[in-house]
Amino acid sequence: MNRNIDRTQSGNDSQRSWQNGLGPRGLLIGAAALIAYGLTKRSKTGAAMAAAGSVLAFRAVKPSRRSTESDARTTFLLNSTPEQAYTLWRDFEKLPRFMRHIKSVRNLGDTRSEWVALGPMEAEVRWQAEITEDQPNQRIAWRSLPQSMVQTSGSVEFTPDPLARGTYITAQVRYSAPGGAAGSALASMLGKHPEFMMREDVRRFKTLLETGEVPTTLGQSHGPRGMHGASEQFLFRETANLPDPQAAGDYRRSA
Amino acid sequence: MKAVCWMGKEKMQVHDVPDPRILNPRDAIVRITSTCICGSDLHLYDGFVPTLEQGDILGHEFMGEVVEVGPGISKDKLKVGDRIVVPFTIACGNCQPCHDGLWSCCDNSNPNAWIAEKMMGYSPSGLFGYTHMLGGYAGGQAQYARVPYADVTHMKIPDGLPDEKVVFLTDIFPTGYMGAENCNIRPGDTVAVWGCGPVAQFAIRSCFMLGAGRVIAIDCVPERLELARKGGAETLNFNEVDVLDALREMTGNRGPDACMDAVGMEASGHGAVYAFDRAKQIMRTQFDRPIALREAILACKKGGTVSVPGVYAGFIDKVPFGAYMNKAITMKTGQTHMMRYMKPLLDRVQAGEIDPSFVISHKVPIDRAPEMYKTFRDKQDQCIKVVLKPWEQAMAA
Repeated sequence: MNRNIDRTQSGNDSQRSWQNGLGPRGLLIGAAALIAYGLTKRSKTGAAMAAAGSVLAFRAVKPSRRSTESDARTTFLLNSTPEQAYTLWRDFEKLPRFMRHIKSVRNLGDTRSEWVALGPMEAEVRWQAEITEDQPNQRIAWRSLPQSMVQTSGSVEFTPDPLARGTYITAQVRYSAPGGAAGSALASMLGKHPEFMMREDVRRFKTLLETGEVPTTLGQSHGPRGMHGASEQFLFRETANLPDPQAAGDYRRSA
Repeated sequence: MKAVCWMGKEKMQVHDVPDPRILNPRDAIVRITSTCICGSDLHLYDGFVPTLEQGDILGHEFMGEVVEVGPGISKDKLKVGDRIVVPFTIACGNCQPCHDGLWSCCDNSNPNAWIAEKMMGYSPSGLFGYTHMLGGYAGGQAQYARVPYADVTHMKIPDGLPDEKVVFLTDIFPTGYMGAENCNIRPGDTVAVWGCGPVAQFAIRSCFMLGAGRVIAIDCVPERLELARKGGAETLNFNEVDVLDALREMTGNRGPDACMDAVGMEASGHGAVYAFDRAKQIMRTQFDRPIALREAILACKKGGTVSVPGVYAGFIDKVPFGAYMNKAITMKTGQTHMMRYMKPLLDRVQAGEIDPSFVISHKVPIDRAPEMYKTFRDKQDQCIKVVLKPWEQAMAA
């Protein structure tokens, strides 16, 4: 019961923060991509897309007030036991294998760890976090230390399905940052769509847990992409598909 | 290596691209000995399927020899030197759909699942040489290919069987067989099959394997109808007769027990509705032209089954859903659950029950792939199925 109510509320929260999170910078990049993509199509559809891009660009440069807060939550049914899922997540230093925007996590001993996230232009955002709750095979919760530039908290829960179909994972992460460089880098990083990023992180976690690897096409062979293909590649993020699972933290090549 | 790349609508080119390499622990690299052009590649050639990119390597029907195996695969599963056919669907073998035998619905093999989820709700498995919505994996119309989850995504082939007899286990034979299985055939049933392309040819023969009494095959290409007759089917040429009338006549006003749409999204037809469909497809308000599907639903007997192995990508209009509902029809479809069918069908090939090489009309070096796409699409030169040989040199003209 409680869980259901909770879920509805946070759903609304995250929707709000998504609207806030779509900053002018993100919008401008999107608009530019749309214009470029539209123009390379050299067709009526392309012209329409370019026109739509121009409207977006206009909206993007209009000033707007926004905060850099985000809250996202997602749920997946895993084909594993709670023990297996808990063990994989509890190894914090390996979180970057499936958390795409996290460059590295370093254990500082005890319950503390140092996190490095990557914003646009490879700007690094650092903070220290502590584990606030650790119930083996059930729940892990963490939050940033009070003096950090970034305030973040997160939790992950593993619940066995009552009909023995696997384990539900429910993950939630909340970020907020005051203004300044770190704040704006973080905002751009999350501005894409916090709910989407969270969902893809947990999807990669599921795949890593179930198959031992994260599927990728990064680095595969292909013919010349051309101008149109290059913009599509950007839009569909083939090159930014995933961090290389064999070199966790080596984000540069994939970014 | 040489690879057949899609460079735009109706523009295929053979390019020299870097050899594939192992990217994940469960990958393997295959040196390709035979590879084919599939009817579903023609949908890509014609530019009807969204999220294909210039430079993508096509091809999802290939076989060859394993030349490199990732560190995540144990030797008893797969090793260098093994001769394998590679199914067109990529399956991890670990997720719930794979455990349930729904291999083409694998949860984990599509790295771009979010795109497919936007269009379909949930994502099917990744495919070789198809669109980025379905994984964007480089395909097998090349000299080498990378096979992800290779410990599951393969079937070993014993020495002594020539490529031509087993290469169609990569897609069209199992696809035709599953299309027939989806017809819920009881002994003596009548099955009508729309389309006489390569998949349909295997479907016709599979229907008889599963006990069908009559198979009625529908197409307009004489040599394909001829090949269907060789497989035991009665045939209808839709340029000469009204299909619905003819089927009514042939089944004593009852209708076929099962109807199979082995055509998919680029069906040909006649009249105003066909013109309307073409126009909508060109305008991009509809990806698919569901003429065969409409007829199949209308022709099917009450309480019958409609099986759809033909490929559809998006949304369709003017489907006679009233007929579908009121006649209590069952519809079964899906990309082929390859791992379920490859071994039993290999056994049938080895037992001599069927020689799949009967569909081959052209066998050419890979350099000639671009012209063969056109020949196959336009059904010129009596083209039914094209096998490409990646290592043979094109003859000097």
